Amino acid sequence: MRTGISSWLWRMVLFLWALTILLPLFWIFYQSLKTNQAFFADIWAFPEHLEWSNYEKAWTSLGIGQSVVNTLYYVGLSLLISLFVSTVNAYAFTRIEWRLRSLLWSMIMLSLFLPGINILVSQYTLMRALNLTDSLNGLVLLASLPVGAFELLLLGSFMRTLPKELDESAFIDGATLFQVFRKIILPLSMPGIVTIGIFKFVGLYNDFLGPFILISDPAKYPISVNMYNANAMMEYKADWVTLLAGLVITIIPTVIVYVLFQRRIIEGATMGGVKG
Amino acid sequence: MPMLKNARLQKSIFLFIVVAPAFAAYVLFTLYPNALSIYYSFLEWDGIGAKTFVGWDNYIRLFHDPFILRALGHNLILLVTVIPITLIISLVLADLLINRAFKENSFYKVLYFFPNVLSLVVIALVWSFIYDGTFGLLNGILRVLGLGGEHNWLGSKGTALLSMIPLYVWCYAGFYVVIFMNAMRGIPKSLYESATLDGITHMQRFSKITLPLLSGVIRVGVIFLMLSVIKGFEYMFIMTQGGPGGATDVISLYMFNFAFGSLNLGQHIYGYASTIGMMIFVLLVGLKLILDKFFAKDSVEY
Repeated sequence: MRTGISSWLWRMVLFLWALTILLPLFWIFYQSLKTNQAFFADIWAFPEHLEWSNYEKAWTSLGIGQSVVNTLYYVGLSLLISLFVSTVNAYAFTRIEWRLRSLLWSMIMLSLFLPGINILVSQYTLMRALNLTDSLNGLVLLASLPVGAFELLLLGSFMRTLPKELDESAFIDGATLFQVFRKIILPLSMPGIVTIGIFKFVGLYNDFLGPFILISDPAKYPISVNMYNANAMMEYKADWVTLLAGLVITIIPTVIVYVLFQRRIIEGATMGGVKG
Repeated sequence: MPMLKNARLQKSIFLFIVVAPAFAAYVLFTLYPNALSIYYSFLEWDGIGAKTFVGWDNYIRLFHDPFILRALGHNLILLVTVIPITLIISLVLADLLINRAFKENSFYKVLYFFPNVLSLVVIALVWSFIYDGTFGLLNGILRVLGLGGEHNWLGSKGTALLSMIPLYVWCYAGFYVVIFMNAMRGIPKSLYESATLDGITHMQRFSKITLPLLSGVIRVGVIFLMLSVIKGFEYMFIMTQGGPGGATDVISLYMFNFAFGSLNLGQHIYGYASTIGMMIFVLLVGLKLILDKFFAKDSVEY
């Protein structure tokens, strides 16, 4: 009987932690369907009738519509380029022999030890000198072209497991390097590429500091900076339910991606964690 | 051998197209700014006007700046609270998820990790609504429980910094639940089985077997959390701007405000900001080395 009670208590502990995550999100969702007056009057009461117009207002007057377009452009293009860059580089670094390979590899791995916080200023002045501030293409360039240590490690370890005979026999049959990469290595590496892609997507979609520093024109804000700005404006506007509606819109893509790919996301995160 | 020559040429072209631009971009956008920030730390520069080389002046200023110590103190408060609380909560949750067969466990596993994929701005705004003084969720809950509920959590000096602790724990715990669950699965079943024969309780099993065997993973967790807590300032930046009255000013935010903040009447102080950045750099790398040494001895093997 005693184990019954303690088991029930532990079950409550798990439930309470789940509640700390579900309750705020659910609460925000139903507040976003109220009028401001109803929200101020009682934060617990359910909305009497659903104010879906809050979402319309958030989309237009909070600038979320425009920022969604910007985000699609920035995230989509960065994702495409960076996946290409990481895949071909992982191939070059793990399956082709060349002279400077190990030197360049260790130089890239150096970035795992650099905290990055000290380069906020210098990276900004560099981008400014290159005329890449206040431009979505500048953000894309910064986010996608420099080869990343994490992606290289993950994809590289994946490609190393593919047997060497695959490329060799293809070369003997007269295939070119490009063909081997495109026809053999690329399809076989797909699971690894998808994992990296999901990760990159979550990172790019959530990125705040980079776009905040580099973009000052509100018409070019990605969604995270736009929400930050909308919140800052609320000090004067006090239109909280619209802000909450905007918050829900911002969360939706995250929820969709998470529901679709949660297994891969959780696995990938721990892979990164073990590498340190 | 024309074939061989052709293959070699192909390889050179491939490498040149593939490696050269990405590596050059890496050097330009990652390595070079690191070097540049060292140079900036010796300058007096507002980002627009002329650069003045001031030698060690900025570093001397660092040691006489009382706000540096205050900010580091705030970081320390967060470190000594967030790290143990996060680790304890995630260890307990991981143990419960692994060793108790509740049917909702598989759902919790997925749910607990969810804050990790949420955008930082979303988290900051959600928690601003939780802590709000008039229509906040926390005050609402306290009112229902009859425990007051009129407090402005982020707006008062006494609670602003402390309010950040649950937020950090909430953000990070789910990640460590997954890490610890994976580590716990790696512990040989035979160890538990022989212990169960000896009549050991759940509690003893957790503290005597699981915990010591996880010390290696816990060490990594401590280092990771430390780096994130010292580097992270975005939540304070979004939620309190370091206020009220500097109560939530942490070291990275202090640096950030010199460079990009609106607190100095729109004036940017890139030189001193870079000097603070160098200090954070040294601090992070130093702490990591010390911890590596300190913990190296007690990693357990089985």
